[in-house]
Amino acid sequence: MISKEEKFPVAKRYNVADIQVSREATAVKPAVVANLIKKASNPVLITGGTLLKDPKLVEIAVKFYEKGIPVIATGGSSKPLIERGVKPLFKTFTLHQITQFLLDEDFKINGKKVDLAVFLGFLPYYLSRMLSALKHFSEIKTIAIDEFYHPHASFSFTNLTKDRELYYSMLEELITKL
Amino acid sequence: MFELRKGIFLDELRNISVRIGEIVEEEEWEEAGPTPKPGIIDLREWDHKLLERYEPFYAPVQDFCNLCTMGPCDLSFNKKGACGIDLRAAKARLVTIACCIGASAHTAHARHLVDHLIEEFGEDLRIDLGGDVNVEAPVIRTVVGIKPKTLGDLKKALEWAEKEIVKVLHSTHIGNEESIIDYESKAMHVSMADHVGMEVADIAQIVAFGFPKAKPDTDLVPTGFGIVDVKKPVIVVVGHNVMYSRPIIDYLEKEGRLDEFEIAGLCCTAHDMTRYNSKAKIFGPISYQLRVIRAGLPDVLVSDEQCIRADLVDACSKMGIPLIATSDAAVRGLLNVSDWEVKDIVEALVSGKLKGVFLPIPEKVGVVAPLVAKAIFEKSKDKKYKFFPSDEELKAEISKCTQCMSCVFTCPHNLRIDQGMALAQKTGDLSKLAVLEEHCLACGKCEQVCPKGIRIVNVIMRSNFEKLYNKTGKTRVGRGPIQDTEIRKVGQPIVFGQIPGVIAAVGCINFPDEMKSIVEILEEFLRRRYIVVTSGCHAMDIGMIKDEEGKTLYEKYPGNFDAGCIVNVGSCVSNAHIAGAAIKIANIFAMRPLRGNYAEIADYILNRVGAVGFSWGPYSHKAASIATGFNRLGVPVVVGPHGMKYRRAYIGKPWKREKWWVYDIKSGQKVFIEPAPDSLLVAVETKEEAIVQLARLCIRPNDTAMGRQIKLTHYIELSKKYYGDLPDDWHLYVRSEADLPLRMREELLRILEEQHGWKIDWDKKKILEGPIRGYDAGFNPTIVEKVFAKYRR
Repeated sequence: MISKEEKFPVAKRYNVADIQVSREATAVKPAVVANLIKKASNPVLITGGTLLKDPKLVEIAVKFYEKGIPVIATGGSSKPLIERGVKPLFKTFTLHQITQFLLDEDFKINGKKVDLAVFLGFLPYYLSRMLSALKHFSEIKTIAIDEFYHPHASFSFTNLTKDRELYYSMLEELITKL
Repeated sequence: MFELRKGIFLDELRNISVRIGEIVEEEEWEEAGPTPKPGIIDLREWDHKLLERYEPFYAPVQDFCNLCTMGPCDLSFNKKGACGIDLRAAKARLVTIACCIGASAHTAHARHLVDHLIEEFGEDLRIDLGGDVNVEAPVIRTVVGIKPKTLGDLKKALEWAEKEIVKVLHSTHIGNEESIIDYESKAMHVSMADHVGMEVADIAQIVAFGFPKAKPDTDLVPTGFGIVDVKKPVIVVVGHNVMYSRPIIDYLEKEGRLDEFEIAGLCCTAHDMTRYNSKAKIFGPISYQLRVIRAGLPDVLVSDEQCIRADLVDACSKMGIPLIATSDAAVRGLLNVSDWEVKDIVEALVSGKLKGVFLPIPEKVGVVAPLVAKAIFEKSKDKKYKFFPSDEELKAEISKCTQCMSCVFTCPHNLRIDQGMALAQKTGDLSKLAVLEEHCLACGKCEQVCPKGIRIVNVIMRSNFEKLYNKTGKTRVGRGPIQDTEIRKVGQPIVFGQIPGVIAAVGCINFPDEMKSIVEILEEFLRRRYIVVTSGCHAMDIGMIKDEEGKTLYEKYPGNFDAGCIVNVGSCVSNAHIAGAAIKIANIFAMRPLRGNYAEIADYILNRVGAVGFSWGPYSHKAASIATGFNRLGVPVVVGPHGMKYRRAYIGKPWKREKWWVYDIKSGQKVFIEPAPDSLLVAVETKEEAIVQLARLCIRPNDTAMGRQIKLTHYIELSKKYYGDLPDDWHLYVRSEADLPLRMREELLRILEEQHGWKIDWDKKKILEGPIRGYDAGFNPTIVEKVFAKYRR
């Protein structure tokens, strides 16, 4: 059983000026993320350009794929993923374009609408805007599992910038519990 | 105007006052098109066509609106506010306002210039852009429908632009527009006016100041932080309107003392100073303002307008640098000394009685700035190139850091200043701090939040001092317009696709990556013989980055508008020449009339001219209007990740077949086509993504088989290189086997058969079934009904 404190660690925005008035992301720990993914009917992992600089994130994305979560690769993240055997659903379109597609009721993956999108490996200010678009204009649940807390997501890891090893261990825990 | 009719005699005209105004004498140079001097909704139909295909996308930065006193209103989840506006429309309005600001900046700049130059040179100064430019002012011809021949004629274009900007700004008032599409149409309209304003400004300064006239091999000028000789007084000019600081060069030349001073600029005034006299130098873009000021380099600083730090008085006074503000757009709270004697102004500034002055008289600026610089230089010769007086002071500053991370959470790039400080505290190793300099915008927000008051910018700059000092190179002086002869040479290969594209790298410096990334991206295209065009801050950053042999792109690639060349057109307002080049292709190569014929020309460009704008680090409002103006002209624009913060993009959905169609004038049929280009405004995250997106957005429906083959070859090669595989959508662009890259033809045919279900005749290696449409050499696409009707007749 996860306690309330476990579920909702203290969150600090990646940018103090990214102001919110309506709803801020619920800060969550790995077990909660794993449960949300397991409960979703058509989840997808979307990866970004940071994978080109951080092999650990590539490793995590590969494990997602191996657990059966489809991967959409953006920002050139497809290259290290393909080298590791991943077959991304998309690799050509930017996160900007993918988000535009996700906002469209007619956009389907494997014949179904995406109901949960998990984001890994993005420049925080770039991802933030896309999470905002999805928050305001769609029903899709979003989870940010980068090292920065993302207020526009439905759920987000808290800030883990102080301790990279802790961040990596949380990603590993998430994979284990998937 | 009163008209004398047959049978009326002058003695009958009692009680009638006759005013002789402007005598309208417009040469019949071309038949007038449908939209000369278009009003706010005259091109609405064209915009709706574009926006039906390239759907607006909104990414709010804030959930609320607080523009009126009924608010603030929570618009989250697309709720409506007190005035009835919903979140999407509120964001469309905000972008329209941003475009109004951008358009106003260029147009007011043009107004300043034109009024001043008419006073100095008279209304009749001829517009002569050199013997190779006969289609002068293509933007003005197309939009306004006039062919300006003199400085005075430029006023007519300006008057039109000013009127339209006001009308669009009006539409953003509470209770006006409610449709996002109509807001976007207005954003496009005001941004088109922005392009007119830019063209007026640059033509005016080219003809009046004698800037280079479409000359490909202009001089190379020193660029970067370490360019000035500290044994001379340094005059630094900053901003975008060279009108105010140009007389500095005139004065020093007249006195025969130009070589005794260093004159260097920041931002576009730097470009324009070098266009005026190539003895001037370029320090760099806005991100170099604090670098230069805090290093104590200027002995006097002359500011004009736009993209200048709003804390200039404070920043300069802390370093003992007198400031001369010149533009009425940025008076900076300073005393207006216009009617003071020169000696009194100099005395007040040199003695420190005044931190700065407002002096909007260019000729006086020309005298005051050198006198002040000389006197200040004599007083403090040893201050230059020092962020800290000693290593001990640097160390003491670093030791204050507690790694609270406040700086990290306010930095635009979330740079890990904390880690750099921690390493330096523990070991004295500055390397982690030094790396930050390559990314740092020197915005100074980190210092605002630091509880210990650490001068973080200075720490970062000092930590990388050697590299920063040596990051200097050469920029090719801005050449202004593209020659008609160049267009004649490249028009056909661009329209047919044999020159795979034109990449126009313009805009600001809010890069997501190190500065060298802009060079890495552009060199990929130069090697592949695309045409690269650049301007503004991108153009000067390119001039700082050298290869192993110490050469910049300007020294490695020629300055012609041709395959494998890099053209620096000049400052921000010179961007009009890039739009002008696209327009001239339609006119000179395809003989399409320009006069008041905007929609037809934009339609031509959208379907045929594989040009893509690229702004790797956009931040200004001007960048928003420049990009949106290009979009209306049918030119897609790729922006770096900070470009998201404009909140709006135009992104098509390639999987929606019904969105991608044209009328084929040859067959008279409506034809479904490949989604080319599939976005008009899209942000990328990484340089790898920028490269692939730029290549794919160069594809156009009109490409010949050879042209498409060349474009697909580059797209596929780049996708394999940077994405590790074939693109997802390459097959959409295949119309026949002739479109396929030669070296991969068999492999690709097999993939088409096996993965996409296409039918292939393997004996003839021909595609039998599968493409969206077949290739037809006479294909003549348009999405404008009136153009279709005009050419079907």
